[in-house]
Amino acid sequence: MTTTAPFQTSDTTIAVTPAERSARGFLGWLMAPERRGALLITPAIVTLVVVNIFPLLWSYGLSFFSYNAKYITKPPRWNGLGNYIDLFTDPEVWGRFQNTAVIVVGSVFLQLVIGFLLALLFAKEFPLRRYLLMLVLAPMMLSLSAVGVFFRLFYEPTFGFIPRSVQAIHFWLTGVDEPVVILDTPVKATLAIVFADAWMWSPFVMLLVLAGLVSVPKYLYEAAEIDRASAWRRFSTITFPYIRSLLLLALLFRTIETFKIFDVPYVLTEGGPGTSTETVSVYLFRVAFNYFRTGSASALGYIVLFGVIVLTSLYLYAIQARGSAAAEPSD
Amino acid sequence: MQGLKFSIAAAAIAAGALIGGAGVPTPALAKDIIINMAAPDWLPTRFMQEEFNRSYKAKSGNNVKLVIDFIPWPSFYQRVAASLSSGEKKYQMIVTDSQWMGDFVEGGHYLKLNKYIDADPELQAVIADMHQVLKDTSSSYPYKSTNYYGFPQFPDNLVTFYRTDLFCNKKEQAAFKAKYKKALPCYYHEWQDVDWNEWGQIGEFFTRKKGSPLGDGTADDDFYGVAYQAGKGYDFSSMQVNSMVWDYGGDIWDETGTKPATGVVNSPIAVKAMEQYLDLLKWAPPVAKTGQMDIFVVQDLYMQGKVAAVVDWVGVAGPVIDKKVSRVADKSAFAQAPGARKSDGSISRFANIGGQPFVLTTWNSEEVVHEALDICKWWLSTPVQTKFVKEGGGESGMLSVLNDPAYGTWSPFSRAFADNIQWQKDIWHIPEFFPLLTEQQEQFDKAITGQISAKQALDTAAAFQDKTLKEAGRIQ
Repeated sequence: MTTTAPFQTSDTTIAVTPAERSARGFLGWLMAPERRGALLITPAIVTLVVVNIFPLLWSYGLSFFSYNAKYITKPPRWNGLGNYIDLFTDPEVWGRFQNTAVIVVGSVFLQLVIGFLLALLFAKEFPLRRYLLMLVLAPMMLSLSAVGVFFRLFYEPTFGFIPRSVQAIHFWLTGVDEPVVILDTPVKATLAIVFADAWMWSPFVMLLVLAGLVSVPKYLYEAAEIDRASAWRRFSTITFPYIRSLLLLALLFRTIETFKIFDVPYVLTEGGPGTSTETVSVYLFRVAFNYFRTGSASALGYIVLFGVIVLTSLYLYAIQARGSAAAEPSD
Repeated sequence: MQGLKFSIAAAAIAAGALIGGAGVPTPALAKDIIINMAAPDWLPTRFMQEEFNRSYKAKSGNNVKLVIDFIPWPSFYQRVAASLSSGEKKYQMIVTDSQWMGDFVEGGHYLKLNKYIDADPELQAVIADMHQVLKDTSSSYPYKSTNYYGFPQFPDNLVTFYRTDLFCNKKEQAAFKAKYKKALPCYYHEWQDVDWNEWGQIGEFFTRKKGSPLGDGTADDDFYGVAYQAGKGYDFSSMQVNSMVWDYGGDIWDETGTKPATGVVNSPIAVKAMEQYLDLLKWAPPVAKTGQMDIFVVQDLYMQGKVAAVVDWVGVAGPVIDKKVSRVADKSAFAQAPGARKSDGSISRFANIGGQPFVLTTWNSEEVVHEALDICKWWLSTPVQTKFVKEGGGESGMLSVLNDPAYGTWSPFSRAFADNIQWQKDIWHIPEFFPLLTEQQEQFDKAITGQISAKQALDTAAAFQDKTLKEAGRIQ
């Protein structure tokens, strides 16, 4: 027999069973203000552990085994540091790191220069500025693989906009009408990737620098003008100190991202000609999903992660330095 | 009133049973069965989905639905391999490239079908009706064994697409004759005597600058003579290089496992064949120099009217004759691909078998297996195969269809397909095929883009093959 106790509300009386009372008691305990915060973030933490932390630890474990994920019936075989030693002594891997370094240096440099110049342009008011700004920002909103496809079509020597334009200009200047092929040599293919990546991400650098430029107090420029300071002097003593730390952040942020570049070279050149534009991320994909050397791919993933952690540490250090600089009283 | 309702219900059930009994047997409770199938995204698989939706009725009376996951060709292998290795068990059937068979059978993913075939006379009839080449390449593992894993969803081979307005043009024919002292091939039988050297002459002859005379008019843009696949992705250069190596009497490995790859893969014959392959690319559109001229780029260049003749798969020929997407739809014809001239004057024209078998996966229930096998039987039945050839842009490997005297007239490319099928071989039918293919593609790409010679490419591919096959215990 179940006993019930009346539960009084403002306008009615409801019978509550002990089980219901117990459940309400637990919910009440759970929803107490001191536990509510933990309760709200628990789903996010569980998701993070399941989709991020666990695979990370799992793949770290796999990096010490010889394992092919395609063969579900063959268990992993302990290999110690074998995968890491093989990777560090493999000239193919170092070749991919070199390809990546060349693309990072070229692309980030171009992004900083173009982004900076664009920011200087858009820091001033001029007709249609708002609409042009939207257009300039559009590339960084696109999907990376879409940019790869766009540029593959732009560079296509028979129909592509860029080779056909260069061919027409060349013909106009020299009278020689030869097709222009952009992706046929390692140097040109690397430059093509650098250009596509810079096209996409220069607006990001521009945004950061623009934020610094618009924060410069106008009275500093007015004072400099009264002092008859030259344009260069105004830039080096007023403008640059305001954007220096932001430029550094852009440099580090874009270096980290470009270090991981995958989509654009994969779609645009497939790592070719040969393997000349195969970045370390594209190579990692091949080891994991073409060769299915799952243990080696995990180890390479950790080597890349180590590189990213080093860069991220620099990034955090830069933020800290910026914070300290901002906190110091100016003279 | 209650009695009347009961009588009406009883009459309805009786009528339903009579109607059902006259046609498909209806089980006490029809089940909903969904068969998910991974397949490359192109006309032959699109047609299968449409035809299934239009006409398939399960013999079991279950409500069977075929849901094809159309995957773009360049990422097809990676998507299927990732799905299988992840253990998600998403697919009940897979349209698989024949050379994947070893890889995924050894991985425990593809179901051996012998016990079902042994128990089912209809399936035995299907096997008996299949062309021997397809039994060897599309159905069995190990290669040429009687361990059956699949049935041909669509067999394919490489054929020539050419422009009749150019090749059958009197002025062009006269000019070609004057220059090369031989006739420009126009009709199907004339193309049957074209070797790779003549293919080069055709390439040279039709490569024209913008504004040059071309056919009865002038070239409105730079125009190119010939093209075939030369792409870094997937197998988009190996398929053509392998063909030419075989044509000249070379090989891509020692299938018996008695000889190392070095000496076979990079034999003087293979090097000569690959040198010719590279040389003929000079008459192709400039994209060939980038290593990105895959089968779809070749198809597109041809459909845009940029090239006189190409070698490509029948599977991509359907859109070529579609006026909505092709500028050369009404001036295209198809013939056998060129080959190598033998000492007796005949032509050797080996090639890689194209197209794919469909296989069943190992995690299906017996009920799903039987439904999937019923779909295979339905697809390979003569009426459906005939319709596929006539309307679906595909070809058939079933002898009862292929041997129809009118087969060659059913589609513009049927005759070339039927004449070619006896010449088909398979690439490495072993689990190590993808690393071998990836390495070979990288080396071929370097050669195509002029970074290394044909010999260097084949030497490196041979060394890699030796290392890989030794590690796998396939050669000593």
